[in-house]
Amino acid sequence: MELLAQGIVSGILVGGLYALMSIGISLSWGALKIINLAHFSFILLSAYIVYQLTVSFEVDPLLMVLVVAPLFFLVGVLVQMFFHLAKVDEFKSLIITFGLFIIFQSAMQTIWSADFRRIGPVLNPYETQSFFVGGIAFQLPQLVAFVVALLIAGGMWLTFTRTYFGKAVRAVAQDPEMARAFGIDSRRVAVILSGLSTAFSALAGVFIAIGQTMFPELAVAWFGIIFPIVILGGLGNSLGTLTAGVIIGVAAGVSSVLWGPLSAPLVTFTILIVALLFRPEGLITKRSIA
Amino acid sequence: MRPRTRWTYLILITVMAMVAAACGDDEGEGTTTLGATATTLTPSTTEGATETTAATETTAASGEPIRVGSTLALTGVFAPTAAIHKATGEVFVERINASGGLLGRPIEWILLDDESAPDLAAAAYERLITEDEVDLVLGPYGTGNITAAMAVAQRYGYVFPHHTASLTYAYTYECHFSSWSTGLHPNITNPNLLYDALESTGTPPETIGFVVNEFPGTMFISYGQPETEEGGAVTEAEKRGWEVVLDVTYPIATSDWGPLAAQVRDADPDFLYIAGLGVDAPNLITAMQAIDYSPDGMFVQWPAPGPLLGTEGADGIMSVTIFEEHPPFTDDPEAVEVAGMIDATLAESGVPYAKVETQAAASWTAWEYLQQAAEGAGSLDQQAMCDWLIDNGAQTLFHGDIEFFPDQQNYFEDLSKIKQVQDGEWYTVYPEEFAAPDRSVAFSPGG
Repeated sequence: MELLAQGIVSGILVGGLYALMSIGISLSWGALKIINLAHFSFILLSAYIVYQLTVSFEVDPLLMVLVVAPLFFLVGVLVQMFFHLAKVDEFKSLIITFGLFIIFQSAMQTIWSADFRRIGPVLNPYETQSFFVGGIAFQLPQLVAFVVALLIAGGMWLTFTRTYFGKAVRAVAQDPEMARAFGIDSRRVAVILSGLSTAFSALAGVFIAIGQTMFPELAVAWFGIIFPIVILGGLGNSLGTLTAGVIIGVAAGVSSVLWGPLSAPLVTFTILIVALLFRPEGLITKRSIA
Repeated sequence: MRPRTRWTYLILITVMAMVAAACGDDEGEGTTTLGATATTLTPSTTEGATETTAATETTAASGEPIRVGSTLALTGVFAPTAAIHKATGEVFVERINASGGLLGRPIEWILLDDESAPDLAAAAYERLITEDEVDLVLGPYGTGNITAAMAVAQRYGYVFPHHTASLTYAYTYECHFSSWSTGLHPNITNPNLLYDALESTGTPPETIGFVVNEFPGTMFISYGQPETEEGGAVTEAEKRGWEVVLDVTYPIATSDWGPLAAQVRDADPDFLYIAGLGVDAPNLITAMQAIDYSPDGMFVQWPAPGPLLGTEGADGIMSVTIFEEHPPFTDDPEAVEVAGMIDATLAESGVPYAKVETQAAASWTAWEYLQQAAEGAGSLDQQAMCDWLIDNGAQTLFHGDIEFFPDQQNYFEDLSKIKQVQDGEWYTVYPEEFAAPDRSVAFSPGG
């Protein structure tokens, strides 16, 4: 029973990390109609930057949030400005952002080599820290990532439903031309949203650096996790993304402890397929952007 | 065409060009591409050769270069380990050319990037043999890539020295020569070496748990050859009377280690056998530490050696090795010299763990096979080289004298040793004659 409970708890927490990794691409895809594959490399690049700054300056890796978040906000702004310039639509975004993904992968391998990188325990005391409730471990990095994902998902939901900016985003997502006709600066909205999306990806990178061993090919492994969460949660739906992340995390965790880790991908994708058969627009649609 | 559309396509083309440039090689002249990267390597006159120079600039050998073709995973998931093979090859080529070359001629190493993909490896070897018409070939890195490349070499009758291919039973080509001293049945000999080491402590485990990467090589070591009764590490443990309390397989690209760690804690074996690769062990150990659990003893099959040293809770973990940079291995001055050169090249290329161990030793040995086969046969005739190796074996720096047994698919005996992380470093601990000074197997159930 304790094993099952641990699987559930671990699944919820890791689902929060998955959601944090997914929110950015979900917002970009749902609101801006940009399928930004470069998000995966942004997450990894952020992790590498956290690693490098932590190791070089012997600072707390969690403090790197203050560095990578604004840095990658700027990156997101510049990327969106490029997309505006190139008149990138949904299809073109796949090709171009895949190219950006390859470029970033090569750059990371060139800078940090293909070898494995991990912040050691002296500089990174968080990776093995947990607190326990009745024998069930709540791993600190994943717990913090979950809380951050919750705050971001909740914050974005409130933003989209309670603020003028959020209304503007929803208007742009539904019909950019009409939104402009009503005086909404769609470019400015898109640039800000892109910056936020990329900053969220960078935050995920901080927790990747704290909790995992990095190598340039690591980002490829995330495709099979992030896309199901994005689709299941509904494009542009931050709360839906969080929910989907938790569902995927728990499903993988429970199936792992019950039937072995090999069953996790099977269970995950079965859930995705069944869910899409009954709700092709995603699990939670009432508060989607589009 | 409308200006905006023209501008769009211009940007797209620019991005594609940037992608191509990022994937291309910029190491020097005479490069061509297959997949991502091709490199022509000849020695420079500086140490730790990583630059590309023309063959005619060497001073120690002369004449038309002998072209050795191979691939390595310069990109992709195998790249971290392939970097070790690249560095080792560079040092070998530099050294042999500085001492007169091969058959009096300099070696030119044509290295292609197989991107860690077996299909690209096979295509690359086809190209190397049929288009580039290389004189000799050397195997790539990675079981899948070696297996694919071997088929090509066999088709064209090329002698095929290779290093760490794990599916030993599958390699029946009469002219393949493995430099990884696992023997033909590593599924039996490797685990028993470990189990003997544990029993040498006088306090062997009573319970053992297995977590097995579904990679074919680790599955073979753990369970034996498919569709046979031979068995592997699991059955060999049962033969010793140890209770197998956990036997679970995990996917190659596992990202969440929490559930697996919880299963290990739930089973609580005296000894945990991690039939894993790369950074599986650091990831699992970290996940177990996070739930406040640590097995009394651990073994990991084929780890990336560097990351484990920096992992909290990894002290005491064991693995297999061919060579470590301590006595008695370093009693040989030439081994020390060569290891030092390889270490320097590894450090220059940014590899964090810049020390010679299994991969570099196996890589060096494969090059030695090629050299000695050509010199022994007195020519580059593939069959003559193959016959010479089978008849005479090889005298290697890191393995000693080797004899190839055709009835054992050219494998020699399992010369593996057991190493253990002690005081933050890897030390060979078993068999005793190869143990580092004042080091022995440290294991005791219950702490």
